[in-house]
Amino acid sequence: MRISYLIFLSFLSILLLFAFTTFINFRLSERVKENTDFVNQSGNIVRSSNRFQRNTINMGSGLRGFLLTGEDSFLQAYDSAATENKLILTDLFNQLDTTSRQYKLLVDIASLNNRWLSEFGQPLRQAKIGAEASDVNLPYFNKLYREKMQSSDERKLNTRLQEEIREFVNIEYEKRSEREKLLNDSLQMTKTISFFMITFSVLMALFIVAFLTIRISKRILKMVRMADSIAAGNYNVSTEETGKDELSGLARSLNYMAKTLSSNINELTKKNRELDQFAHIVSHDMKAPLRGIDNVVSWIEEDHKDELTPKVAEYIRLIKGRVIRGESLIQGLLSYARVGKEEEGEEKIDTKALLKEVLENFSMKEGTTINISEAMPVIYSVKLPLLQVFSNLIDNALKYNDKTNGLVKVYHKEYPGHWEFFVSDNGPGISKNYHEKIFMIFQTLKERDSFESTGVGLAIVKKILDSRGEEIKLESEAGTGSIFSFTWKK
Amino acid sequence: MSRITTILLVEDDQLDAMDIKRSLDKLNVLYKLVVAKNGEEAIDMMKGNHEVTLENLPDIILIDINMPRMNGLEFLQVIRDTPEWKKIKCFMITTSDEKVDKEAAKKLGVSGYILKPFKINNTSSLDSFNLVIDLMNMKGYE
Repeated sequence: MRISYLIFLSFLSILLLFAFTTFINFRLSERVKENTDFVNQSGNIVRSSNRFQRNTINMGSGLRGFLLTGEDSFLQAYDSAATENKLILTDLFNQLDTTSRQYKLLVDIASLNNRWLSEFGQPLRQAKIGAEASDVNLPYFNKLYREKMQSSDERKLNTRLQEEIREFVNIEYEKRSEREKLLNDSLQMTKTISFFMITFSVLMALFIVAFLTIRISKRILKMVRMADSIAAGNYNVSTEETGKDELSGLARSLNYMAKTLSSNINELTKKNRELDQFAHIVSHDMKAPLRGIDNVVSWIEEDHKDELTPKVAEYIRLIKGRVIRGESLIQGLLSYARVGKEEEGEEKIDTKALLKEVLENFSMKEGTTINISEAMPVIYSVKLPLLQVFSNLIDNALKYNDKTNGLVKVYHKEYPGHWEFFVSDNGPGISKNYHEKIFMIFQTLKERDSFESTGVGLAIVKKILDSRGEEIKLESEAGTGSIFSFTWKK
Repeated sequence: MSRITTILLVEDDQLDAMDIKRSLDKLNVLYKLVVAKNGEEAIDMMKGNHEVTLENLPDIILIDINMPRMNGLEFLQVIRDTPEWKKIKCFMITTSDEKVDKEAAKKLGVSGYILKPFKINNTSSLDSFNLVIDLMNMKGYE
C-alpha cells in the first residue's frame, strides 16, 4: 500500500475514534439535560400534589370552621382552596401521559374530590349560608349537618382521597428514583466507554507512530546511510526493498543509481588505468629510439673526432640537445603518469625539515635568497606528494626568477580543516591570460630552445593536488612576482 | 687450456646491443659475446637448437626486459626453473625503472638491475659496478 494512503487512513481512523468518543459524551450530556428537565417537572408535580393535599385539608377545616362559627374568613379559605385545587388538577392532567397509572390515579383523585365537593362541601356551604341569612333555614341546615358530618362517610372519603394522593406522590418518587438509577447507569457506561475509547485511541496513535517510525524512518535512515556510503566513494551498495510504496520506489532508484555509478566509475577507472598505461608504454617505447640516436651520435663523436668539420660537430651538438630534450619530455610524461600510483602511508612530517630536504636538491644562483617561515607546522600526512609539490613550486620560483636579488618565500596559514601553504617569488610574474594554461602538461611560457623547461612541473603539481581533492591558486600579474598557494587537508 | 668468459646478451635492440658491446670492450677483459634477439632465441642457443651455438654455458647473462615473443622476466623464469642453468649469474639491463619489474627481477634472484644506458664507467650505479667486478673476477685466460 502507498505510504500516503497509509498515513491518511491512520489519521482518519484516529479521527473517527475521537469523533465517536465525542458523540457518546454528547449523548450523555443530552441525557443529563433530559433528566434535569424531568427532575424539575417531577418537583413541580410533587409540589402541586402536596399543595393539592394541603388544600383538601384546608377545605375540610375551612368548611368545618364556617359551619360551626359562620365566619366568612373560614368560607374564604374554603373557597380559595377549592378554586386553586381546580387549577392544580388541570395543570397536573396536562403534565401526565394519559396512559400512565398516575393519570388514572389522578382521575380517581379528581372524582373523589368532586364527590366530596358535591356530596359534602357544596350542599353544607349552601345550607349554612341559607341558615345564616334566615333562621327559617336553620332546621334544614341542622338536619343536613347531622346527616353528613356525624356519619363516618365524610371522614372515609377524605381518608381515601389522602391515601390516593400519597400513592400518587409515591409513584412520582418511584419514577424519579428509577430515572436516577438509569442516569447513573448511563453515566457509568459513558465513563467506561470514554475511558476505553480514549485508551484505545492513544494506543492506536502510539501504534501508528511506531509503525510509521519503523516503516518510514528506519528505511529512510537505511537509504541515508546508503547515500552517505555512495558519497564516500563506495558504490557497491544496495538496500533490500520489495515493497510497493513510494519509499521502495526511492530505494530502487537509489539502487539503480548506485549500480550505474558503480559501473560508470569502474569504466572510468579502467579508462584512466589504460590511459596511464598508454602514457607509460608510449614513453618507454619512445625512449629506445632516442637512446639509439644518442648512442650513434656518441659513437661518431668518439670514433671520428678528428674527421669532423666544425659544422658537422655543431650539427651533432644540436642533435644531442634535441635528444636530451626529448628524453626529459618523456621523463616528464612518465612522472606525470606515475602521480598517485605510489602506495602512500601517512607519517609525521615536520614541513620545515621537509623544505630543507627539498632545498638540498637545488643549486642556488648567487644573490638568491630562500626564506622559509619559522612557524612551519608539523603535520600528519603522506610525505612524497607534498615533497613533490613543494619541490616543483620552488623549482619554478627559482628557475624563472630574473632578478639579481631573487627572493622566494615559503609560509603557511592554518584553517580548521586544512592548511594553506604559500610559495611566493619576486620573479617576472605571470599575466592573467596564462593562469590556466600553465597547469596543462607541456605548456611553457619560455621558448624551448632557450630554456631547460619541459612544462611538466606545474602539471604534476596540479595532478597531485587534484587527485587528493586539494586546490591550487595563483595570484600574479606580469611584472609583480607570483604567489602560488595550495590547500592540504589536516 | 683456455678459458674465455662467455656473455649471453638477450637484447632486441641492435643499437643497444652495440652500445653494451662498446662498453664491455673498454674493460679489457677477454670475453665472447653472443647476442640473442629475445628469450626464445636465447633458450634455443643454450639448448644447441640454433645456428649460433655456445661452447659452454654462459658465465653471465645480460637480459633486457621489453622484448618480443618472450620477454626478459619470462626468460629469467625459465633459467631459474631449469636445474642446469639456475646458478648462472644474471643481470637485467633495461629502460624500465618500474617497481613491479624491479621486484619481479629481484624475486628471480638477479645479481643486478641496471638501467639503460649502461656505461661501464658509471660507478654511481652499484649494480653496474657489481657487473664490472664480476667480469673482472671471471677474467678469461688462454
